[in-house]
Amino acid sequence: MSGARELVCVVDDDQSVRRSLRRLFRSAGYAAETFASAEDYLAREIFKGPICLALDVRMPGLNGLELQKTLESRGACEQIVFITGHNDVPTCTQAMKNGAVDFLMKPFDGSELIEAVKRALGRAADDLRKRNERREARGRIDELTPREFEVLRFVIMGLLNKEIAAEMHTAEKTIKVHRGRVMQKLRVTSVPDLVRISQRADVSPARKHA
Amino acid sequence: MKNLATALGLAGFGSHSEADRSRDQFFDWGVVAIALFVFASYFLGAKIGFALTFQPHPVSVLWPPNSILLAALLLTPARIWWVVLLAAFPAHLAVQLDSGVPPTMIFCWFVSNSCEALIGAGCIRYLIDRPVRFDRLRNVGIFCFFAAFLGPFLSSFLDSAFVVFNHWGQDSYWEIWRIRFTSNVLAALTLAPLIVTWGADGIGWLAKIGRWRFLEASLVFLGLLSVNVLVFYKLTPADSTLLYLPLPLLLWIAVRFGSRGASAAICTVGFLAIWSAGHGYGPFSTRSAEENALSIQMFLIVMSVPLLFLASVIEELGKGEMTLRGREERMSLAAESANLAFWTIDFERKESWMSDKGRAIFNFAPEEALSRELFLSRVHPEDRVAVDEAIERARVSSQTFEFEYRLLRPDGQTRWLISRGRYLRNDQDRVNELIGVAIDVTAQVQANLQLRLQREELAHLSRVALMGELTASLAHELNQPLTAIASNAAAGRRFLTLGSPEPEMFDELLADVASDARRAGDIIHGIHHFVRKSESVRRAVNLNEIIREVLRLLHSDLLGRATAVETQLAPNLPPVDANSVQLQQILLNLLMNSLEAMHLTPAEKRRILISTECEADSVVTSVRDYGSGLPKDNPDKIFTHFYSTKSTGMGMGLTIVRSIVESHGGELAAENADDGARFSFRLPVAAKNETGEVA
Repeated sequence: MSGARELVCVVDDDQSVRRSLRRLFRSAGYAAETFASAEDYLAREIFKGPICLALDVRMPGLNGLELQKTLESRGACEQIVFITGHNDVPTCTQAMKNGAVDFLMKPFDGSELIEAVKRALGRAADDLRKRNERREARGRIDELTPREFEVLRFVIMGLLNKEIAAEMHTAEKTIKVHRGRVMQKLRVTSVPDLVRISQRADVSPARKHA
Repeated sequence: MKNLATALGLAGFGSHSEADRSRDQFFDWGVVAIALFVFASYFLGAKIGFALTFQPHPVSVLWPPNSILLAALLLTPARIWWVVLLAAFPAHLAVQLDSGVPPTMIFCWFVSNSCEALIGAGCIRYLIDRPVRFDRLRNVGIFCFFAAFLGPFLSSFLDSAFVVFNHWGQDSYWEIWRIRFTSNVLAALTLAPLIVTWGADGIGWLAKIGRWRFLEASLVFLGLLSVNVLVFYKLTPADSTLLYLPLPLLLWIAVRFGSRGASAAICTVGFLAIWSAGHGYGPFSTRSAEENALSIQMFLIVMSVPLLFLASVIEELGKGEMTLRGREERMSLAAESANLAFWTIDFERKESWMSDKGRAIFNFAPEEALSRELFLSRVHPEDRVAVDEAIERARVSSQTFEFEYRLLRPDGQTRWLISRGRYLRNDQDRVNELIGVAIDVTAQVQANLQLRLQREELAHLSRVALMGELTASLAHELNQPLTAIASNAAAGRRFLTLGSPEPEMFDELLADVASDARRAGDIIHGIHHFVRKSESVRRAVNLNEIIREVLRLLHSDLLGRATAVETQLAPNLPPVDANSVQLQQILLNLLMNSLEAMHLTPAEKRRILISTECEADSVVTSVRDYGSGLPKDNPDKIFTHFYSTKSTGMGMGLTIVRSIVESHGGELAAENADDGARFSFRLPVAAKNETGEVA
């Protein structure tokens, strides 16, 4: 129940199903929108917050699996709960492989769907937070000069200043200055913090020269 | 000719076929035998003729050679008449040379005699087909006129002229003419029929007649002989009234034994009478030779002509009766084998008749008098009024009636019949007779019923199979409303738990639940309706509606196969008389076929076009796909049983579709179109009816 910042979208070609699901989500306190087709959903502006789709598999036009792929390529962060009238194992396997949160057979228990959606939204929020953190870490790392970035990579490798100086063919003193700069720009005070922020920003440790 | 030879015990000579004879005529032993036989009989006949001459008069009372010649010509094909004449000539010479007549006169006589025989035989051969028989009035008439009268009449002029020309005898021209004419007429009447009738048939038939008949013939002939001997030989000349004594026996023979008996009797009487008179006995021996000859000739001619006619009439009647009886028997055989009942009711004479088979069908007693009431009492109560009305209409308008109805017989059996009948009117234009025929069609009706049941059964099984193929699709269709209901219920409970139920929202929710429940019910009802055994009720049905219903059923399958459906449904489509379930079956089958056919078609090209249009008096519905199309080599193969391109198909679908379309009086067509196939079926537009129900 994380309030208005979350959104649930129902994509199903059956009107009754759309109406009932919107009602169900609202009863669970979610904001819900409905779409009669995949194309209708794609036409909506991208929602920034945590978002979950209750997606039908068989639909005229783009079907559920195709929409899933399209969304992935768009790089959005929708989490998907499939709802289908067909007991179709290959489709289910494919959907789960592609990262669906759940695959529910119609008719399903309302609370089952709510549970799945809750999980999906949690995952979406998680995802969103991670993205934000990475974006922030990346932002800070982007402030480093190339020289400083190189020093960072050697630091998170666990080298001492002396060893880094040898690797970079420079004086230990210079390395010490660079290291101080890096700590300052990344706003950390300890090496473990430095390692954590580097991981978030996907900075890989440098390789030792042979 | 063959028969003649057989009759004379010359069987060995008569065995050649007609074809052999024409190829090898000169050396044909049959022809030689005929020549020899003609020679012998001509010679013998002449001798008899001389014996029957009343001395001192030179002309015979009865001159057989001419009629023997005539009979020989009548019995032989015209092709070998020259052989007959050539064989008779030496006999003629042999006889006459003995009598000291000059050769010119002999030759002239032969010419005139041949003329007479040729005139008679030629005319008869022209008018009557071979073999010449005396069993028909027309034949006897032709014979009497041409052979017995015209031949002697004409040739006698020639003969008399020859005699006068040769200065032979002292008689005048007309006297000679008269004597020769009567003598030859008598000979022709007495001998020719005998020889022709017995010669043509041989004597083989004698073996076939029954013992009693043979006895009767022997007795009556013996009687005739005795009476003749009594009349012409024993009695005194004064008893000329007794001349009529042989008459009853002659009539008996003519009536009972036909032309064969009559000709034999005439011959017998003739010879006996002439011989007796020639020897001075009997009623014809009282006056001069010439007068005696003339009166005996007149007596015999007058006796034989009616006798021959009588015999022929009797035979003809007998034959006619036999033909009629044969026809009646054939009719009744036909009636029995076809289960037909013939019947007539004569209102004036208050008589009625019905064939035995008919009485058996209607269960009438053998002598029970027929009437409309009796007939109606047998008709099934449900059909009685209609039948009665049909009969009444026919009676009033004097037209033929025909109707199909059921009989409920007293033994409780129901039979199906078709009756056809007509009222006949008499001269005063009053209805006086009713004739008719009824045919028992129970077997056919039952067979048709059986066939219809089997067809329905097959259609039903195919529907069940079709439903089997659609289960997944139907489950999906059913799951939609169920999902909606379940979700609405869950939402409702949550709202209640939250404790803030808004009445309006709740009302809306419950309305949705109700409508979804109804929708689920409709689907189940539709499945049940489709699969159950329908009692083929037909009513006015709009094909556009059927198409929409079927598309609803197939909705999920179409989605699953990513197939687009386009419809071009004619607005204001007139209804057709049909069983709606069977129409759904037709469309489902065609659509499923189309889906199968597009199995390998790229998804973006999968398309089905359904259209309806009204053409004249029929509605044409077509389903066109973009699939693999019909087999190129033999498009009609798809309509045969058990032909299937699907691995799971029974191969019955299209056969059943066709049988359904045809049972609705329509036709099904299939053709290849660009990149696919088009199936279309045509059904007749429903007849306008106030209630909309179709009988």
